[in-house]
Amino acid sequence: MSHLRDLQLRFQDYLIDGSRAIEEDIVSTENALAEHRLGTYYNAYRIRLIDSLAVDFSALEHYLGRESFENLTLDYLLHHPSTRPSVRWFGQHLPEYLARFNHAGDAEFVHELAQYEWLQTIVFDAADSPTLVQLEDMAQIGAETWPALTFAFKPAMQWLDLYWNVPQIEHALDSGESVPDKHRSEFPLRWLLWRRDFKTYWRSLEVHEAWALQQAVNGANFADICQGLLEWIDAEQVALTAAGLLKQWISDQLVTRLGDF
Amino acid sequence: MTQAKPFLGFGLGLRAEHYQDILERKPQNIDWFEILSENYLIEGGKPLYFLDAIRQDYPMVMHGVSMSLGSTDELDFNYLGQLKALIQRIEPRWFSDHLCWTGVDHKNMHDLLPLPYTDEAIVHVADRISRVQDFIGRQMLIENLSSYITYCEDAMPEWEFLSAIAERADCYLLLDVNNIYVSSFNHHYDPLDYLDGVPAERVWQHHLAGHTNDGNLIIDTHDHDVIDPVWQLYAETAKRFGPVSTMIERDGNIPELDQVLAELEQARRIAAPYYQS
Repeated sequence: MSHLRDLQLRFQDYLIDGSRAIEEDIVSTENALAEHRLGTYYNAYRIRLIDSLAVDFSALEHYLGRESFENLTLDYLLHHPSTRPSVRWFGQHLPEYLARFNHAGDAEFVHELAQYEWLQTIVFDAADSPTLVQLEDMAQIGAETWPALTFAFKPAMQWLDLYWNVPQIEHALDSGESVPDKHRSEFPLRWLLWRRDFKTYWRSLEVHEAWALQQAVNGANFADICQGLLEWIDAEQVALTAAGLLKQWISDQLVTRLGDF
Repeated sequence: MTQAKPFLGFGLGLRAEHYQDILERKPQNIDWFEILSENYLIEGGKPLYFLDAIRQDYPMVMHGVSMSLGSTDELDFNYLGQLKALIQRIEPRWFSDHLCWTGVDHKNMHDLLPLPYTDEAIVHVADRISRVQDFIGRQMLIENLSSYITYCEDAMPEWEFLSAIAERADCYLLLDVNNIYVSSFNHHYDPLDYLDGVPAERVWQHHLAGHTNDGNLIIDTHDHDVIDPVWQLYAETAKRFGPVSTMIERDGNIPELDQVLAELEQARRIAAPYYQS
């Protein structure tokens, strides 16, 4: 191992866990103690990365307060040093980390809030969709084509299942509005997030829509979706309901392509 | 071989806070923008939309923080591939990164960490710059740091280290005037020695920025206006190097565009007497 590599490993160990071997490599004078000069880097490392998390998890920071947020994220920093060139990805393991190691009374809510905020970052810079299906396109579909019709969706679309009323609380925390009380449902609710005109939108899905959207994303055709919807919808209404869901997805600018691919 | 030095004029670091204002007003007193490359190594969304739109009206250069030229890890060719794709997308006049390392053992500290000024480091870094330049297919610029420590093993002043690497790798210099001021304060040297010690023909770009001074140490924070001693040092660079593309960096406490433009006008005024002759 080269001398330079040894030096860099000592320096990096100091930044990550405070190992002090690097102090021997640094000039120390009365006015510039090595310990103090190195401390500039030690502190900057923590502040920079915690600030970066505070941007991606701003509602979580508001909810916990800065001190608790710092304590949680300092531990995260110790266990998950960044490995990517861009700091944009540093927070990717935070929701999972909170699920495993945060045992506070509100741990489940905190985990869901972190999951929700991270998905927002994914939606924010997911790939663009140059072409979108328009409502007028639906009128062009011949009756014989409908059963085999399949759908492609934009990359800037995600969903997750939440027990807590996280989206309402996140929105209130980030916009400075009065924050609603936390509420836990008996069953998780599926939330859809998507980007449209550079803004992130969100809404909850009823069980039948959640099922239909998941099937559509997985490549099911219109006939398959209608068949599956029979679990919730009467047979005479099912085609109309499925078409209504498709109309909603198109209105939300989620669908990028129709076809029998 | 050094090429004739291109002069882009006076530019700004492109920041999201100013996107809308720039697109709506298309200010004529900004000659070019420098982008932070890592902010655009993404798949889509608002940042790339504004990047492409603003690029239609202004020349750009690309400036990175993650190449880790001094690291003893392997070069990250996945990152370099993304960088190359961005270069092809926006066709910058040049690209740059820092004379530093940002991590080893596949970790990234997201800081610009200084190297020891040794012959071993010169050979190591120059070789990596050459490999980057071969991969990208163009010469690059490397930037001097603000630093807060001195290694016991340093065998030369920083400007000799920087110059030796630039000559050996045949790359150009992004001389950050504020960083020279900051490091000269922190390490007690004369900043004019720095200016006199670098090869003028390789200086293609200047950064100007503000910093934070606690009396004993100056930290390069980019969150204040440029201070008078840095302006004075900038005048000395203009006197020595002639026309060099100059820009202002602001990364914290970001003011309205007009305030940064006023600072840029000050750079123009200071450089004008030296750039006209």
